[in-house]
Amino acid sequence: MKSIFKTLFLSELCQGLYVTARQFFARPHVVVQYPEEKTPQSPRFRGLHAQRRYANGQERCIACKLCEAVCPALAINIESGVSDDGTRRTTRYDIDLFKCIFCGFCEEACPVDAIVETRIHEYHMENRGENIMTKDKLLAVGDKFEAMIAADKAADARYR
Amino acid sequence: MSNTDHNAVQTGLSAHLKEEIDHWLTKFPPERKRSAVLAALRAAQHENNGFLTAQQMDAIAEYLQLPPIQVYEVASFYSMFETKPVGRYHVSVCTNISCMLCGGEELLEHVEKRLGIKVGESTSDGRFFLKREEECLAACTGAPMMMVDHVFYENLTPARVDEILDSLK
Amino acid sequence: MSDDLVNIEINGRPVQARKGQMLIHATDASGDYVPRFCYHDKLPIAANCRMCLVEVEKAPKPLPACATPVAEGMKIFTKSPKAIAAQKAVMEFLLINHPLDCPICDQGGECELQDLAVGFGRDVARYAERKRVVKDKNIGPLVSTDMTRCIHCTRCVRFTSEIQGFQELGTCGRGEHVEIGTFIEKSVEHELSGNIIDLCPVGALNSKPYRYSARAWEMTQQPLVSPHDSVGTNMFAHVLRGRVMRVVPRVNEDINENWIADRDRYSYEGLYSEDRLTKPQMREGYSWREVDWQTALHAVADRLNAVARQDAGQIGVLAAPSVTLEEAYLTQRIARGLGSNNIDHRLQRSDCSDQQFDPVFPWLGCSIAELEQTGSLLVIGSNLRKEAPLLAHRIRKAAVKRGAQVAFINARTYKYLFPVSGYLASNGIGMVDHLAAVVAAAAQAKGVTVPASVNALVAKAQASDAHRAIAAQLSSGERRIILLGALAQRDGGFAQLRALAAALSQITGAQLGYIADGGNTVAAHLAGVLPHRGVAGQSLPASGLSAADMLDAKLKSYLLVGSIEAQDLPAGAIEKMRANGFVVALSSYASAKDYADIILPIGTFAETSGTYVNVEGRWQSVPGAASPLGEARPAWKVLRVLGNLLNLSDFDYENSEQIRDELRNQTGNVIADNRYHNTAAVARHSAAEAIEVQLYSVDAIVRRATALQLTHEALQARAGEQA
Repeated sequence: MKSIFKTLFLSELCQGLYVTARQFFARPHVVVQYPEEKTPQSPRFRGLHAQRRYANGQERCIACKLCEAVCPALAINIESGVSDDGTRRTTRYDIDLFKCIFCGFCEEACPVDAIVETRIHEYHMENRGENIMTKDKLLAVGDKFEAMIAADKAADARYR
Repeated sequence: MSNTDHNAVQTGLSAHLKEEIDHWLTKFPPERKRSAVLAALRAAQHENNGFLTAQQMDAIAEYLQLPPIQVYEVASFYSMFETKPVGRYHVSVCTNISCMLCGGEELLEHVEKRLGIKVGESTSDGRFFLKREEECLAACTGAPMMMVDHVFYENLTPARVDEILDSLK
Repeated sequence: MSDDLVNIEINGRPVQARKGQMLIHATDASGDYVPRFCYHDKLPIAANCRMCLVEVEKAPKPLPACATPVAEGMKIFTKSPKAIAAQKAVMEFLLINHPLDCPICDQGGECELQDLAVGFGRDVARYAERKRVVKDKNIGPLVSTDMTRCIHCTRCVRFTSEIQGFQELGTCGRGEHVEIGTFIEKSVEHELSGNIIDLCPVGALNSKPYRYSARAWEMTQQPLVSPHDSVGTNMFAHVLRGRVMRVVPRVNEDINENWIADRDRYSYEGLYSEDRLTKPQMREGYSWREVDWQTALHAVADRLNAVARQDAGQIGVLAAPSVTLEEAYLTQRIARGLGSNNIDHRLQRSDCSDQQFDPVFPWLGCSIAELEQTGSLLVIGSNLRKEAPLLAHRIRKAAVKRGAQVAFINARTYKYLFPVSGYLASNGIGMVDHLAAVVAAAAQAKGVTVPASVNALVAKAQASDAHRAIAAQLSSGERRIILLGALAQRDGGFAQLRALAAALSQITGAQLGYIADGGNTVAAHLAGVLPHRGVAGQSLPASGLSAADMLDAKLKSYLLVGSIEAQDLPAGAIEKMRANGFVVALSSYASAKDYADIILPIGTFAETSGTYVNVEGRWQSVPGAASPLGEARPAWKVLRVLGNLLNLSDFDYENSEQIRDELRNQTGNVIADNRYHNTAAVARHSAAEAIEVQLYSVDAIVRRATALQLTHEALQARAGEQA
């Protein structure tokens, strides 16, 4: 009985139109003038990858290969070995940005917070092969944006 | 004396030590030579100023026809055996429950201060070795007590301890 | 119901168990899993990890399943709240001092502690105190240690004392200060020592060459058979991106049980040595040129054809005793197709004077598992532990567990880790004289005359008590075997030794057996890689030259198959080959440049599909684990193309299975038979003793395995060579 009433008088349609009309008159617009203006980003934003170091300059990555194992897109390629000081280190660490789907699993899997995804999303490549983020490139990104990475990690730490 | 030395070169064991081990071997079935390890180690440690060397343990192993590691295992297991060079007199102060209640821990502190060493260390003159905490030495009636080598000293006071330590030269 | 069975109940289900069995045997048999660390079915029971606690009705406390014998009417609960609580509590204790370094631990992903911690561990640690740290021990170049991870299950300790036979590792200290180690710094040196890596349930003992190079989950597992000795050890290669990262045992109770020798485990390092060849090479004057396969193969075919047209007898073919059955068969087909019978794989045998009496293939005389059951053994001319470590292990089991009497006749004294009933080292008198004296003693005791073939040898023999004891031990009891080892087969007086051993076998009724010299010697025999016999032992109208003879003959061309190096050949072989010969080598290594004119790079045992026939006559085929390096190709493919280029018929094999099946059809009715049919007298002559078998220089691959070459054993052997 109730549904027949609803259908007959299009009350749901009117409700919907009311919402539309309210929004239509409420605010002028919400378009952001990119790149001058940018939307706010979450500290959890998953952009370009980076590898971090400890404060003493030692690289964090211990070549446990958990990120490689968890990566659903098989974008990570690692080779490992014994370093000069006897510790376990990567001899190769490549991320193929074309394969990467930015799911953030590598970050989640990492036991030492070595591989992270920064908030950087504005990057480009000009030549074939530049899509491979080698260990050196990853560490360079990490070194440059360590302050941002550390702040984001700290902000998110409460929820982990 | 020269005869003893000669034997020592041959097997690493002195004639006296061999005699002692042979004495113990008679108490066990012939195929159970391993049983004599404890007695052999005790005699060897006694002969070597209170600690065992790897050479001695190897020699015992060879004499008893055991893999050397089995002798090392025994020597490192028992707190009565020392496998590193230590002082001549082994001083152990009991800090187990009865002694602790009667002041064993204060006594130990006093000994440490007096000898200038911590538990587990030896004095630089090589006289005293303060053994790591001993478990109950079964002299609760005379608590607090300490043992120097194989002698029990009971109902101790710091003054009495000084006296005992001074008497050991 | 038989008397030695008891009725018990496991988790409410009634089952029967044998008296004297432990609970864990019964629960394993019934499929009720009980967690365990220290229990291992090949090792004596220690019951010191306490992980296998189960609830037993009417028992006041949980009982360790590995050390509680079954009893009539027992009711066992493996998953009751009490049992689970006990297991969880034990796990919590074990984790108190275990470091949380799984991400860098090589055991991570295949760790028993990790697995059981998932099942029985708490999610939060209640232990806030400092964990203890234990100094790592250096126990040699093969096994790496991270002793902080040790949970003191003592599997490794029990392995050294019970399986190796000489305890090298021990538990030192007491209580919280317990450490597993050697006490004084010393390496673990037994030839099976690598097995402690597989036994260790945590990451305390790991493979040193493999350290940190891969993770368990990213490798694929491929079956392999070891080519380094004639046991036919089953192994797995763990392969990552086409490369062998490590080798582990493949359980086969009939052959190697759970174990593999260190030689089998670490030889893979030799696959990736720096002098591995990745392209065909041709000699040009004094230098070498890399060429493509076509050029190289045509050059080889042209030269071989040219020589064959003039005089096929000028072609000599040598195959390493470690090549696969398929390679051996194709090599044989090429040699005989060219018209030459000069083909041999017995590179080290110097006395071929009685080769017509060789068995069709050198058979052990029983199965490997049956060696354990023997009552009496005489081993002639064998450094057993180095020749075939796993046979030595079986014989040790027979001697220790069953009280078998094991006697040796050898040129030198070797160390055996079990009671030996008699050891005759030649000390100036040769092995022949010792053996003759044993034969004489046996004949005297039985009151029979010695067979005519050995009359001349036994005539002057002086039997001592030692000889009489060995003769007596072989004459009575069950399962008696006389084994001829590699040193006997290489000995200059092998014909005499064999005639005597056969006579002894005839007099005493003991079985005669051979420990085949070389990894796949049996297959080479079956494939007809022999100058005097064709496939499956067929007799030939005319016999060719044996390995030693064809080198002495300085032929015009040689074809060497299977990475043969100077050390594999008799002294001076290289000069003889180069004298006026054109030498083609199928080799994986640049060392072939010492003697060859053309080198065709071939895949190693891990890169080739193929079949191995072990000393029992057991055929085992494997598919090939890794990809061959560079342009190297499996040797059977190279030989197939070569056969086609030489215009030999029926050389169109598509896979190695076809080759195997073709040979299999021809060897169908070959039976293992070591009987010796010689009745003519064997003359007595003095001959050179065989050179030593070195554990870690049996073939080109082992000689390149870096870690093996750093062992005490290998260093000593090299020092001995230089001295």
